[in-house]
Amino acid sequence: MSVPSTATHEGLPVGKLSAYFDWLQMLTGAALILFMWCHLILVSSILLGPGVMNALAWFFEVTYMAQVGGPLIFLAFLLHFVLAARKIPFATGQQRLMLANAKRMRHTDTWLWVIQATTAMGILIMGGIHMWVVLTNLPITAEKSAARIQTGFWFVFYLFLLPMVELHVGIGFYRILVKWGFLDRPGRWVIKKKENLLTGIFIAIGLLSLLRYYFLPLK
Amino acid sequence: MARMLKFNIFRYNPQDPNSVPHMQAYTIDETESMTLFIVLNRLREEQDPSLQFDFSCRAGICGACGMVINGRPGLACHTKTKDLPEEITLMPLPIFKLMGDLSVDTGTWFRAMYKKIESWCHTKKVFDPAAQEERMDNAVAEAIYELDRCVECGCCVAACGTALMREDFLGATTLNRVARFMLDPRDERTEKEYFDIIGTDEGIFGCMGLLACQDVCPKYLPLQDVLGKLRKKMAFAAVNNILPSFLRKDIKL
Repeated sequence: MSVPSTATHEGLPVGKLSAYFDWLQMLTGAALILFMWCHLILVSSILLGPGVMNALAWFFEVTYMAQVGGPLIFLAFLLHFVLAARKIPFATGQQRLMLANAKRMRHTDTWLWVIQATTAMGILIMGGIHMWVVLTNLPITAEKSAARIQTGFWFVFYLFLLPMVELHVGIGFYRILVKWGFLDRPGRWVIKKKENLLTGIFIAIGLLSLLRYYFLPLK
Repeated sequence: MARMLKFNIFRYNPQDPNSVPHMQAYTIDETESMTLFIVLNRLREEQDPSLQFDFSCRAGICGACGMVINGRPGLACHTKTKDLPEEITLMPLPIFKLMGDLSVDTGTWFRAMYKKIESWCHTKKVFDPAAQEERMDNAVAEAIYELDRCVECGCCVAACGTALMREDFLGATTLNRVARFMLDPRDERTEKEYFDIIGTDEGIFGCMGLLACQDVCPKYLPLQDVLGKLRKKMAFAAVNNILPSFLRKDIKL
């Protein structure tokens, strides 16, 4: 048996913290992706009419899903940020390295990561503001949402937040699949195309919903 | 008509105190089936004997001629000029110690990483030189060989955003090497022992899944599959003892 000439890992306990954090980062991410897909479906119910949206909002209110689920999602959102931020470079030197690498290599997946990390910062601030405004003003109704968006400021606010969230969610979904070995090599390209299409459709539905709120007649 | 190729090549000799890093331009006529290996040798013979670069086998086996070709790491001997535009920029691989111009020392990096992961078969069996070699199932031998095809060129490390940001990150090649020993029935290391080596943020949990390693590997190693399976295997190794039995998983590589 070879005898190593330098100190090795042997005898040093290696904790499981990195593994637990990686699990939690993935699970909170997956939960938030599912939530965001459901969220878009609920929000876009305005396209079917304010009555449909009000009925859905009423259901989540009487079952206490909005009052309890909302703050839980907020907690998952913060936890996901803290866990994922362990990988995001905050030092300028590292950020420059990462950007220079993406530019030099013209590598799509590295660019996707840059988009993911950048949108994360925007979502942290704007998503936090959005959740605060909505959750401190329950119950949700089509009229209240429309009134907020028709102030103009909030319309522009959501024009920025919507694509950021959809890009982050779409790329995040793809990255979970490749990082955790759910896709083989050919499967990666198939999913990527479908995922891009799905992100595009979600942004389109979101934009239509925003416009519907903007032009909804207020009583 | 044959193209005239313009090469911008990084020049710097760390041994020479008067040397300043700069790009130097060369032009050369393109010939049939020309590789960058041929270009560099011709440039050195015909135009500039001071140009430093590494090569040995000319056939993508030794892994010595890894360099950054128009922004992407690759092997000079594997890269045909007909697949490149007329203007070509060559840089040394980042991360590794620069020896001069396009030549880098990948050996020191690999040795340090291989020491970290104890890159040898761990066995308590005493070697008997007179005994017949133990037989191995053909499918197992092939699976090991598939990962053993790595030529240690360092392209995957040079392309990895995580490795660029964190010098303690093991990188795809080292993790692939660990997977190779996991497959090998002669290595008696337990899952716990493997977890101690790679179940960290310097190991598999540091990987951000950018997959540049997969996309630049000149040997087309299945790095995406290896990294995905290693993550799952190590993640389940950490939680299997607290999961109810129907959720427990023993991931096979």
